[in-house]
Amino acid sequence: MNRLVKDNILKGITYIASALSVIVLAAILWYLVSNGLSLISSDLIVGDYYATTENAAISNDYIYDESAIGEYTGEGYYSAKWGIALEDITTAHNDEEISVVYVDPNSPFMHMNSLVSGEDGMALSLTEGSSIQNIYYLDEAGETVFLSRVKMADAQNTIAVLDANATGIVSINYESIGGGIRGSIFATLYLIGISLLISLPIGISSAIYLHEYASKNKINSLIRQGIDTLTGVPSIVYGLMGVTVLFPVTQLAGATSTSILLGGLTLAIMLLPTIIRSTEEALIVVPQSLRDGSLSLGATKSQTIFKVVLPCAVNGILTGVLLGIGRVIGESAALVYTTSTVINDNPTILSQGTSLSLMIWSIMSGEQPNYELASAISLIILVIVFAINFIVKIIGKRLAKSFV
Amino acid sequence: METCFDVKNIDLFYGDKQALKDVNMEIYKNRVTAFIGPSGCGKSTFIRCLNRMNDLIEGCKVSGEIIKDGLDIYSPKQDIVDLRTRVGMVFQKPNPFPMSIYDNIAYGPRCQGLKDKKKLDEIVTTSLKQVALYDEVADRLGDSAIGLSGGQQQRLCIARCIAMSPEVILMDEPTSALDPISTSKIEDLCLELKKDYTIVIVTHNMQQAARISDYTAFFLLGEVVEMDETDTIFSHPKDKRTENYITGRFG
Ligand SMILES: Nc1ncnc2c1ncn2[C@@H]1O[C@H](COP(=O)(O)OP(=O)(O)OP(=O)(O)O)[C@@H](O)[C@H]1O
Ligand SMILES: [Mg+2]
Repeated sequence: MNRLVKDNILKGITYIASALSVIVLAAILWYLVSNGLSLISSDLIVGDYYATTENAAISNDYIYDESAIGEYTGEGYYSAKWGIALEDITTAHNDEEISVVYVDPNSPFMHMNSLVSGEDGMALSLTEGSSIQNIYYLDEAGETVFLSRVKMADAQNTIAVLDANATGIVSINYESIGGGIRGSIFATLYLIGISLLISLPIGISSAIYLHEYASKNKINSLIRQGIDTLTGVPSIVYGLMGVTVLFPVTQLAGATSTSILLGGLTLAIMLLPTIIRSTEEALIVVPQSLRDGSLSLGATKSQTIFKVVLPCAVNGILTGVLLGIGRVIGESAALVYTTSTVINDNPTILSQGTSLSLMIWSIMSGEQPNYELASAISLIILVIVFAINFIVKIIGKRLAKSFV
Repeated sequence: METCFDVKNIDLFYGDKQALKDVNMEIYKNRVTAFIGPSGCGKSTFIRCLNRMNDLIEGCKVSGEIIKDGLDIYSPKQDIVDLRTRVGMVFQKPNPFPMSIYDNIAYGPRCQGLKDKKKLDEIVTTSLKQVALYDEVADRLGDSAIGLSGGQQQRLCIARCIAMSPEVILMDEPTSALDPISTSKIEDLCLELKKDYTIVIVTHNMQQAARISDYTAFFLLGEVVEMDETDTIFSHPKDKRTENYITGRFG
């Protein structure tokens, strides 16, 4: 065959291959955007996952003063008398709701006590985004009137009724919006923090030992081979190891169940090989002549490593950090047994919780898989990954600059 | 004339391969000593013995003695880091650190714990002036040294070495990658530095050895065939092999 034809066929194959990957990537993005974009809002990001029903009465200490209530010019229907703005919304589950868009700081709705048994008297304030179910108010005669959800009809009517008839507010029944992912975002950040905090110093130090100090003997090549093998261990195995071996360690820190700390430790171990490998690759690239130069100037070995070698390797090390963060964000199997699959709205290091990826797993494995929410979370994960890449790149540039 | 290094019976092995055979010589203070010889004869290997840079090479074993100031530098009592502050080295390929020009020169003193900004400034300025680089870079001391030309980089490396005020400067083919102008600048520099420093230089350039050195040693296959005053080596070599090498090169 003609050499030129062969060459063109090869070229064609590479074109088709790269076009294919671009198409696949675009298809995934399109799926996520078309399913999830409509759900993305600040409520989704900062909101609780679990909707809670609250029943609250205006606090006895509160003294109503109409003149103290301020102006509001935003969206929705505003009652200047009661300091509350409402609007009509349709929820993700196709329910018509009357939602709170604004509450004035001096409004009675900001000074309430819970009526729910078990948390008697706990101070509450109506939060934006909640949907109102019913209200008890006082009329001109001082009688308590029940304004049910049906009688409220819509936002405009509710405000009109309250403005015209109410002389005081007694209590309110409302539902906070759910489906938020704030807890999982925090849990994800905790996991990234814990795992990097542990795996970076250990990983970088081991790489320095292996590449700068260790001589080429049997034991060291065995260590190296072990590290390479660890890279290929399935993450669910790390999860099993975590829950059996590391759980007692987290107990020392005060954990009583599986916890984010346990997940973070497990991920730290899972990241070690990646960090060691990429640091070592970065060290290999640093020219030997720089080490020689430094040592010939009477620098000690550690001075040489910290002042010359590591700064030169910083970009390679950061690549490892990026890979590591990527793995933490994307990991779910290693976390199933270690952080649990229970979505937690207010995770702490010692509590259970789900990372964003694990949250997708959780909401999709229920009886009614929520594709929209899952897609929205995926989009948010992509944005986080993108943002972290960006930040780490900037850090890398800064570090490189401070060195040049 | 004071002796700087008294080299006695140095044998050096890379693994099983012997690279230096029974090397004996005296290197004098405040003189320029040149090493010449064909490629692979062990010149670099030997010059690296003088500040123990060979320690960094895995499988390299040295026996014999190199006496400096009454102490064998290969004895366990020798502090290697301290030795290297007194015996500086300039490499064949310029190897500036990827830092600013200022930081490159301040690197050595800083590693010794010097923090005083004024003193560092002074060291940087005088070192750069000594290598005749100051005027070229005075207004961009904060710029990266990587942006300098090859000849400038090499002079920077010499300045970096001088900044440590060592007793000895070892140079392994410092001009092999440079143009004639940079080369002659560095040669002038050697003659200048000789007043304050002992200089050992490896070179493939006979004229260069003849121009700048006081003593010349001819290496062949890991052995020192002949060492004498440069004039003698180039005019009346005692050994036939030296003569062949020198005349061969001169054509
Ligand atoms: N790190 C090393 N490991 C093994 N053998 C080496 C090593 N460095 C040098 N040698 C060998 O030792 C001998 C002397 O090498 P050396 O570099 O000292 O020669 P040289 O005289 O400096 O040559 P050139 O003029 O080409 O620089 C050569 O045969 C070389 O192959
Ligand atoms: Mg050489």
